[in-house]
Amino acid sequence: MPTETEEDDRYEGFVASFTKYEPDLRRFIRSLLPTWTDTDEVLQQTAIVIWKKFDQYDPETHFMKWACVIARFEALAYRRKMARDRHVFREDILEIMADEGIDELDSRKIEHEALETCLREMTEKHRKFLILAYTPGIKVKEMAEEAGTSAASYYMRLKRLRRKLMECVETKTQVPG
Amino acid sequence: MKSSKFSQLPKDEQDWIDAYLDGTISDGDFDQLQDRMMESPELREAMRSYLSLDHSLLQLSDAIVPETESATGPWLQTESAPSEKIARFPKSFIPIAAAATIAFLTGSALMYWNQRNGEIADTAKETPSANGFAVIQNLFDPSWEKPANIRREGDMLGAEVFTLASGTAQIQFFSGAIMTVEGPSQIELKSAWEASCREGAVRMKVPPAARGFKLQTPSSEIIDLGTEFGLVVRDGTGHVEVIDGEISVRHRGEEEKILKQSDALNLDPNSAATVSQSGQVTFPDLSRFGSRSAEELTSSFQRWERHRDVTAQDPRVLAYYTFDGPNHTIVPNLSEPRKPDFDGTVILAEPVSGRWPGMKSALEFRRPGARVRVNIPGTFSAFTFACWTRIDSLDRRYNALFMGDGYERGEPHWQIRDDGKMMLSVMVDESQPNPRSTDPQSRLHKVYFSPPMWDMSMSGQWLHLASVFDPASRTVSHYVNGEKVSSQEIESLFFVDQLRIGNGEIGNWGEPFRKDPNFAIRHLNGRLDEFTIYQSALTDNEIANLYHRSRSDLK
Repeated sequence: MPTETEEDDRYEGFVASFTKYEPDLRRFIRSLLPTWTDTDEVLQQTAIVIWKKFDQYDPETHFMKWACVIARFEALAYRRKMARDRHVFREDILEIMADEGIDELDSRKIEHEALETCLREMTEKHRKFLILAYTPGIKVKEMAEEAGTSAASYYMRLKRLRRKLMECVETKTQVPG
Repeated sequence: MKSSKFSQLPKDEQDWIDAYLDGTISDGDFDQLQDRMMESPELREAMRSYLSLDHSLLQLSDAIVPETESATGPWLQTESAPSEKIARFPKSFIPIAAAATIAFLTGSALMYWNQRNGEIADTAKETPSANGFAVIQNLFDPSWEKPANIRREGDMLGAEVFTLASGTAQIQFFSGAIMTVEGPSQIELKSAWEASCREGAVRMKVPPAARGFKLQTPSSEIIDLGTEFGLVVRDGTGHVEVIDGEISVRHRGEEEKILKQSDALNLDPNSAATVSQSGQVTFPDLSRFGSRSAEELTSSFQRWERHRDVTAQDPRVLAYYTFDGPNHTIVPNLSEPRKPDFDGTVILAEPVSGRWPGMKSALEFRRPGARVRVNIPGTFSAFTFACWTRIDSLDRRYNALFMGDGYERGEPHWQIRDDGKMMLSVMVDESQPNPRSTDPQSRLHKVYFSPPMWDMSMSGQWLHLASVFDPASRTVSHYVNGEKVSSQEIESLFFVDQLRIGNGEIGNWGEPFRKDPNFAIRHLNGRLDEFTIYQSALTDNEIANLYHRSRSDLK
């Protein structure tokens, strides 16, 4: 039986690590699954497993990598019990995306920082449009209606801006040579 | 070495990725995309970058509800006007918005419920507070035509019609625009940037960041180009006046007109816009409204301060925490004579505004590890627990108010179940199985439930909760806002009169004996602004008094 203090430490450790890495973990899971709902479902499951296995976590190793391995497994398990007709990656693709993704965690951080700079460089109008489009709870259909455009043209605009941002991020993260 | 770029992918691959992201990809394209992914490491890498960008955008858009200026992120500020004041959302609504956003983002609350519990999902759908882009910041003397119209301070508003029969309401849009509405009026809210006044009197205050806010009348569209204007609509005809700054008005099909300070227009749907005199109409007055409501708050706060001093002197009080000290790691136990050993230690719970914004703080237990640890030794003959709480949502199966760590003989558990029922239980004997339970792990104890007293429509409201465990009269009672909602008998099988606390926690459970987070994580997704534990049973009257002496609203 662990002592009271050990239990407390374990709990604190879990909460601290999980809170710190939750956004990154979510980003990782998102690269494997088609929707935010799927992502959140798997994130939840992953949290439970991380908690259960927290004893096995070696603090000398990288928490995020360890958590990603668990998330990868949970995403696969989730995929298996999901309906076939959804657009979820095939198992072999999900695995390779996860494995390669784990090696790219640092790149994701750099890209995220670049994105912040890119957003700052955008025109205010575009930035506002993007923020609103990504504000939780805002429905594309409603926004399109308000703007007096069709959902299709709204998506077009969103896509254009997103691609422009991606291009900006790519330029900023490019290593010369 | 970054070689795989989205922008260098073939066009069909780019289109597939976008369609995948937006959920519009066809089956055939999805198959092709996957085949191509299998072959192409460049495509895979570019795709991960692109999906990550999608995630970043969502994450950063969340930061639009900033807690502090620095958290806003510099990219939200207008580059053209660094010297201008950036609209800052008043503190009072941030937590509500944040709570909703967090529920959305982590998927731990509403979305989680929606999938698992059809019943709760329905409630959430009906509740405007689940999703929204505006919040009711103040209500002064409101009345409503029908119950469905009723809104409360702190309620979130989404795309809906806000109908106020009389009184004044102040609505803060998430764009930063503030609308003061006087009843009778009917306002259709469309987005954080747009609303329509069908009837009634409004005053709009639009800070620089919300410039471009649109307000429609039945026949016109008004765009605020900065600061303040008033609008009255009666029987379809509008009258608009610029109080300060500039607006643009487009009436019917006419050319756009720019109005400056003190300009006024009549907007008759059956004729052209006509210039009118300003000063003929009184618009809802924010400052008068603000000061009156501030007076109310001050007086109720002073009443509460007296109540606090009385409570601290009450010899029956074991521990009394008001969570408003300058120190955010220790919450002092205010009961006299002071026993510093009974002070609580704050872990991860965050100071937020309480029932008197700006005057008194509270603690929020939103994070899974948030809690206040206490140690209260001794043996007692009864318990009364009382608190002021503002529940944002009941995310967990069990949501802790106060939990004895080990839940051993005589130790209490006071909590709220996800169906809105209050629960109070005291362990009778942890060495014996519970003959009434089919769960072999259950020990001899009984949970006394109140009827459901909370649902999502009450999210964000302050409530006074109290529960009494009284072995002498063999009863357990629950109270909401000073009124008794239930009373149950303690049967002989479950009788226990040697009560203890020892180590325990406010707002969470420190030592769950099952490690599954569904069971173990019980933090309260909400705030506590006052918490009292008595070592005796308070009477119905005393609890009603507690409520009345400590409430923040006069109505």
